[in-house]
Amino acid sequence: MVEIAEIAVSAAELKLGTEPVQGDGVRLSHADPKARYSLRARDAKVLAAVIGRALPGKIGDTDGGIACLGPDEWYALLPAGTDLPRVEGLPASVVDVSSRALGLVLEGPGALAVLSSGCPLDLAKMGVGRATRTVFETVEIVVWREAEDRWHVEVWRSFATWLWNAFLAVMPHAK
Amino acid sequence: MTGFRLADGGRIDRRTKRNFTFDGKARWGYAGDSLASALLAQGQMLFGRSFKYHRPRGILGAGVEEPNALVTVDRGPGRVTPNLRAPSVAIHDGLKAVSQNRFPTLKTDLIAVNNVLSAFFPAGFYNKTFMWPRAAWEKVYEPIIRRLAGLGDSPTTRDPDHYDATYAHCETLVVGAGPAGIAAALEAAATGGRVILIDEQEEIGGGALSDPAQWAWLAEASAKLAAMDNVTVLSRTTAIGHYHQNFVVAAERLTDHLAVNEAEGPREKLWRIRAGEVVLAMGAIERPLVFEGNDVPGVMLASAAKTFALRYGVAVGRKVVVMAVHDSGWRDALALHKAGVNIAAIVDLRRDVASDLIEGARDARIACYQGYAVTSISGGQAVKGVTIALAGFGKGQQLDCDAVLMAGGWTPTVHLWSHAKGTLRWDEAWGAFVPDKTHENLRCVGACAGAWSFGKGLPGGLLPAPKPLHESKAFVDFQNDVKARDIGLAVQEGFRSIEHIKRYTTNGMATDQGKTSNLNGLQIASGVLHRPVTEIGLTTFRPPYTPQSFGAILGHHKEALFQPLRKTVIDDWAASHGAVYENVAQWRRARFFPQGSEDMDAAVARECRTVRSAVGVFDASTLGKIEVVGSDAAEFLNRMYTNPWKSLEPGRCRYGLLLGEHGFIIDDGVSARLAPDRFHLTTTTGGAARVLNMMEDYLQTEWSDLDVWLTSTTEQWAVIAVQGPKARRVIEPLMEGIDLSPEAFPHMAVREGRICGVETRLFRVSFTGELGFEVNVPAEHGRMVWEAIWAEGQKHGAVAYGTETMHVLRAEKGFIIVGQDTDGTITPDDAGLGWAVGKKKPDFVGKRSLARPDIVAPGRKQLVGLLTDDPQAVLEEGAQIVADPNQPVPMTMLGHVTSSYHSATLGRSIAMALVAGGRDRMGETLHIPMPAGTISAKVVAPMFYDPEGSRLNG
Repeated sequence: MVEIAEIAVSAAELKLGTEPVQGDGVRLSHADPKARYSLRARDAKVLAAVIGRALPGKIGDTDGGIACLGPDEWYALLPAGTDLPRVEGLPASVVDVSSRALGLVLEGPGALAVLSSGCPLDLAKMGVGRATRTVFETVEIVVWREAEDRWHVEVWRSFATWLWNAFLAVMPHAK
Repeated sequence: MTGFRLADGGRIDRRTKRNFTFDGKARWGYAGDSLASALLAQGQMLFGRSFKYHRPRGILGAGVEEPNALVTVDRGPGRVTPNLRAPSVAIHDGLKAVSQNRFPTLKTDLIAVNNVLSAFFPAGFYNKTFMWPRAAWEKVYEPIIRRLAGLGDSPTTRDPDHYDATYAHCETLVVGAGPAGIAAALEAAATGGRVILIDEQEEIGGGALSDPAQWAWLAEASAKLAAMDNVTVLSRTTAIGHYHQNFVVAAERLTDHLAVNEAEGPREKLWRIRAGEVVLAMGAIERPLVFEGNDVPGVMLASAAKTFALRYGVAVGRKVVVMAVHDSGWRDALALHKAGVNIAAIVDLRRDVASDLIEGARDARIACYQGYAVTSISGGQAVKGVTIALAGFGKGQQLDCDAVLMAGGWTPTVHLWSHAKGTLRWDEAWGAFVPDKTHENLRCVGACAGAWSFGKGLPGGLLPAPKPLHESKAFVDFQNDVKARDIGLAVQEGFRSIEHIKRYTTNGMATDQGKTSNLNGLQIASGVLHRPVTEIGLTTFRPPYTPQSFGAILGHHKEALFQPLRKTVIDDWAASHGAVYENVAQWRRARFFPQGSEDMDAAVARECRTVRSAVGVFDASTLGKIEVVGSDAAEFLNRMYTNPWKSLEPGRCRYGLLLGEHGFIIDDGVSARLAPDRFHLTTTTGGAARVLNMMEDYLQTEWSDLDVWLTSTTEQWAVIAVQGPKARRVIEPLMEGIDLSPEAFPHMAVREGRICGVETRLFRVSFTGELGFEVNVPAEHGRMVWEAIWAEGQKHGAVAYGTETMHVLRAEKGFIIVGQDTDGTITPDDAGLGWAVGKKKPDFVGKRSLARPDIVAPGRKQLVGLLTDDPQAVLEEGAQIVADPNQPVPMTMLGHVTSSYHSATLGRSIAMALVAGGRDRMGETLHIPMPAGTISAKVVAPMFYDPEGSRLNG
């Protein structure tokens, strides 16, 4: 029987950073707190009327903090405290998921490479202002290209510690 | 001593010496040398021992096809890599390489006795010989065979290196940077698209590296590629495999070519490349010839000798004989002659050879033997001479030499083409399979496409010989020690398909995957069977193209980052209160909270007693949660779950049981109707993703007409269970807007309001049998609310309890845990949950299966309680249950123990079990045979505490 030494740092010991981390050409930080809603509807017009906001029409487009993730699905990322009305009696669904996810921000000329290391999409071809649901390795994320070199990454709360440290592992000279 | 360094030539840097060791002896080479070229330059011909017969072996090829010269490279503790091919190992100062598969030394290998006894080790020997007696396999045969088998040693310590990984995208991916690949890359790059060019060697150039006439062009092309910012050139990178839709995985070796003290950063990098078009320019591999003694060290491929001379400046011998059936052997011989290697003779089985080749040989004063074949080799650990004979049968003629070069024609490298399910066609001129059709945007160029001129030749590799096939030691697969006669034997044994012949003989099944042996094996089988090659078929190529480290495939998924460990927002609090954890799915959950020197049993007993007598607080945040919204929400749940949902009033909760189509329980949970069109579902911790996927699947494929949407809210809500007779008193002072009185807020109800100033969904539910509440708050406030409840609880003697206590408390009440008390073959009735099946419902998922004959047949395993005759004996979960402990083994097993605990509340052990016909056995005594003796237990109803449920109203 071969004895394998204990690993130096276990998954249980990983910490979710609180302060921004700078690497060569890339900075990792937390996004400001947000209000988050999962919006679903058979007809976008019905939903838009209920929440009183415009909805982007094409999958991957964003408009006023709302991204279209699927044929009947939108994801709203709005300033903290924004309240959207619950729908009742209409073919639509508004669910508050503000607490479900955390926002991480990768910015700088090296951000694309960090994100591309674990995301199978061709992110270089993703336009500014576009958003999509995808994965980073095995973890589901929503990626929002806010500017040429600024990427907002939504990740479910309990996966954030792993993702933060997975980003650090590929950020050159992160400190 | 045979091989030596030529006076000039090669791409090595003769001003820079590199010192290394081989089998512990000091050796040296020049910068740019491979381990093979440096050792050959110093006269080393013996590189390894063969797998089965331990025959001495030398170098066969100069590339990744090398089957013989496998070495272990030692880069320090944890960094020992076996089975590296010496021609592909770049030397550096301090390199420590060791030969393999020999005992005790390469020159004197005692296990070579296998070679003397080889007549007793034919193909299929192991399958036949070690069958009987059956018992001897585990104790005698297997341990001995295991010690002898295998190439190289497995690692025994943790790999200290780390490995990088990335995705990459390009319009054109070119695999192989020989002349054809470089041309394809330049052409693609000119259109402006992103181009990735990858090559497995130390530098790009492929075959051009062995042709000084192309070096000027190569330098120019390399510079041009390097200057283009839309081109990424990756050398030391092997394309491991081609997967669907032009997804190519490649591994880049970053540090192994550097001295240990110069190696910084990751050892390898995995490139996961999605390409618009893939161009395969992987070249071709020369085929050996199959004749008696073709494995003696010093017998090698002509292309290898050419590479050693022209790329590395190393002559493989002082007197070299070429055995060709192909023009390329003549061309290589002439190139070697020009480079200063003494070619003594060219032997060619063909009588007719192109006149320019014959003239070239004559001008170089090389003796030519057309129509001749080599029939044997003299020498054991090195070539001393050859015997040649006219047409292989004539009178033997001796030629002195110290190296023999084989030119058996060329095999296009179609591995990745085949990974992509590209079809192949047989090409007579090549005597090989070449690419035909593909459904991917994929094409081959250069030699791997069959579009390269190596000249003409004979297709078959087996030379005519005076000895009958079954007496000859002519090797086909060098690494697995498969001889031509083994293939003959396989056919004699009745195998016809190449897939069967391959497995019987193990031809092509070594770490080189038959790069030099597949086609020769195929053609020999074709000859023996008297059927055309195309009717015998070709074995399938599978990734990886060459052996690949696990490290690169794992990338960053190792150690702490191996996979996410999910923690709740209350996890830190639990840690600071001494929690002992257990992992549930990807979550870690507090299992119990020991105080002082308490062990688990003591802590759990205290926690259980406190919950039953006062109150306990439990972090249930990991429960899966799904918000179901839409006017058809109730209809949807009615179809999914076994029980009726449409009649559930807003503000009330219901236990839901979820079956698969097969009628077996797959999940359960308590769910609440918040509004006519809004439900808050809960699932098991481990089932959350599975249940959501299943529900989405039904919604999207079966019932797309329903106006209902599902949103995972598992992580939106932190859940704090407050359970026990004092539960109401603990939360009451913290609540706003919810009347907690039993009249206003009965068991199985839900209310929305505020706690500690934040919104809450408050459930009055109980998994303990006590008065209980589950406080749902947005996760960001979970820790604050937990601490407030904890502080309030302290006034009432509250404990924090973990999953172990939760398990005991629910077992006392007979509540099942899906996956523990069920195993995927348990129906609601089996589990005693028949009451949860809506008898009047027209349909629900799994309903039809519940009427299947075997589901309604008597004698199915049913969930029962067990009380051991010795109240302190705690059964082992998973233990088998029998009716008659005196029955001889194998006994009739009636079922197994699913849950078993010591109950502090009851002062005795309790258990649940699945037992055949269990409910008809109430009061029977059954037996649980254990290593330390048989335990007897009485069958009872699975309900051990407060059967009338009065405590819920506490």
